[in-house]
Amino acid sequence: MNHADYLSLAPLLVTAATAVAVLLAIAVRRSHAAAFIITACGLILALLSLGLPLRHAPRGVTPLLLMDGFTLAVIGLVLAATLGVALFAHGYLARLRLAGDEFYVLLLLVAVGACVLAAADHFAALFLGMETTSIALYGLIGYRRGHRLGLEAAIKYLVLAGVTSAFVLFGIALIYADTGSLLFMALANGNSLLLPAGIGLLLVGLAFKLAFVPFHLWIPDVYEGASAPVAALIATVAKLGAFAALFNLLWSVMQPGSSVCIAVILLAVLSMFVGNLLALQQKNIKRLLAYSSIAHFGYLLVVVIAEDVLLATIAALVYLTAYTLTTLGAFGVMIQLSNADGDADHLEAYRGLAWRRPWLAGVMTAMLLSLAGIPLTAGFIAKFVLLSSGVDAQLWLPIFALVISSVIGLYYYLRILLTLYRAPEAQPASAPLPFTGGVALAVLLLGVLWLGIYPAPFLTLLEHLLTYLR
Amino acid sequence: MVIPITGILAVSALLFVVGAVALITRRNAIAALMGVELMLNAANLNFVAAWRYFWPERMEAQVAVLIVITVAAAEAAVGLAIVLNLYRRFGTVDLEQIRLMRG
Repeated sequence: MNHADYLSLAPLLVTAATAVAVLLAIAVRRSHAAAFIITACGLILALLSLGLPLRHAPRGVTPLLLMDGFTLAVIGLVLAATLGVALFAHGYLARLRLAGDEFYVLLLLVAVGACVLAAADHFAALFLGMETTSIALYGLIGYRRGHRLGLEAAIKYLVLAGVTSAFVLFGIALIYADTGSLLFMALANGNSLLLPAGIGLLLVGLAFKLAFVPFHLWIPDVYEGASAPVAALIATVAKLGAFAALFNLLWSVMQPGSSVCIAVILLAVLSMFVGNLLALQQKNIKRLLAYSSIAHFGYLLVVVIAEDVLLATIAALVYLTAYTLTTLGAFGVMIQLSNADGDADHLEAYRGLAWRRPWLAGVMTAMLLSLAGIPLTAGFIAKFVLLSSGVDAQLWLPIFALVISSVIGLYYYLRILLTLYRAPEAQPASAPLPFTGGVALAVLLLGVLWLGIYPAPFLTLLEHLLTYLR
Repeated sequence: MVIPITGILAVSALLFVVGAVALITRRNAIAALMGVELMLNAANLNFVAAWRYFWPERMEAQVAVLIVITVAAAEAAVGLAIVLNLYRRFGTVDLEQIRLMRG
């Protein structure tokens, strides 16, 4: 490790150091405000320090991590999403009168794990990143210790993550037995049956983690049981890291027409349809968002099989950005409506929101339209770029499935939208919007609209980042 | 006597399946966690076999086993804390009886 290596790792180091700083601050004095301020400052510092690795990228830091343009973009997204969740959690934890200090430590650890996953170029880094994310998430999901659903979700996630790591490890062990190397590159040259078996098990493990159909059964329960900020964290940060790892991993094995390719197409098409169909009858918004995220990651799988690397990477990043902004925004509105009586996860909680709290209803409207992929929102641009990448690779089956299932998806997003504008039954007292949550929601709303109306600067930026730092 | 590599791979695969079956069929939360532990150890056995039979001059496999053991310990620590909380709140660690969410 020399000077340039440390600079390349700056965002990870700053985030990890922030987690330690919060822990030390807790040891001195327990204070929600202090923990929050240290976390927010640390994350902003980490985001600013993203400039440092740029000069040295692409750079392999030890054999474990590779910091290239894609990785840096995903890390930026992960850190921004973590900051968003922290801003929302601040008001939420205060309303619930929960001790908030340790929450931020675990939050930062999830972010570190996701960054390591995004940067992984070696199976050891993949495994460690996955475990850092999931062990911190056990704590976060079970954070409300007396809460029955929270505990049930925690034990479910515990078992799921254990199974995931077992599958991934078993796969890695078989791959290592065949190739004698733990580098991702080693996947390209195997000579016995152990390699395909290993890749298969690895794929199953990652499919569990990202909740592709048919490995999706855990996700609605975990979203429902976890508190709303934690569900937002699982939906954005944890999934971003895991998807980036899958993306990096599959590019080294993917050949058109290979069995891996067929398996990925199958997972994609199944996830799109089953995710959207299961969401149709959902009355619980958390479960609905869980099913919708299954479908969104099904769409995203299309880029993994595309042929043009640059186009596919841009499409992946644009889609991940739009998905993160939108999902975080939708959860953000839910968090603002949640209080000590419980999370506002039932459809009825949103009835007539436009009359009671027009501001929040406006944000929710934009987010739902973006999730559905309506023009002038980020979701539309993202889907457009994704489709053009798929058309370029002539992947007609997944594209066809994407279009059809998007139409199915429209139905349930519009159903929530209509509920927002129905006449309210009663007039409950409206709570004031906390400053931190308000700022985060405003930024997310602006991001979604800006990406939807004038995406050119963002696309050019990504293109430069990816062409020069490869 | 030298045990053939296929024998060791078969044992580890069997161990993996036993763990998975324990996970699916056992209703006790701690037994389910033990199933996960079995699956992880099946992977470890594979790593050790890969080192001994294929790549005796390389160290990655041994390091990987050490990492897995460490991580499994961390996971068990957090996992048992959750089980403890489950018992306090529900008065049981029977997974069938703590299923509240459906649909």
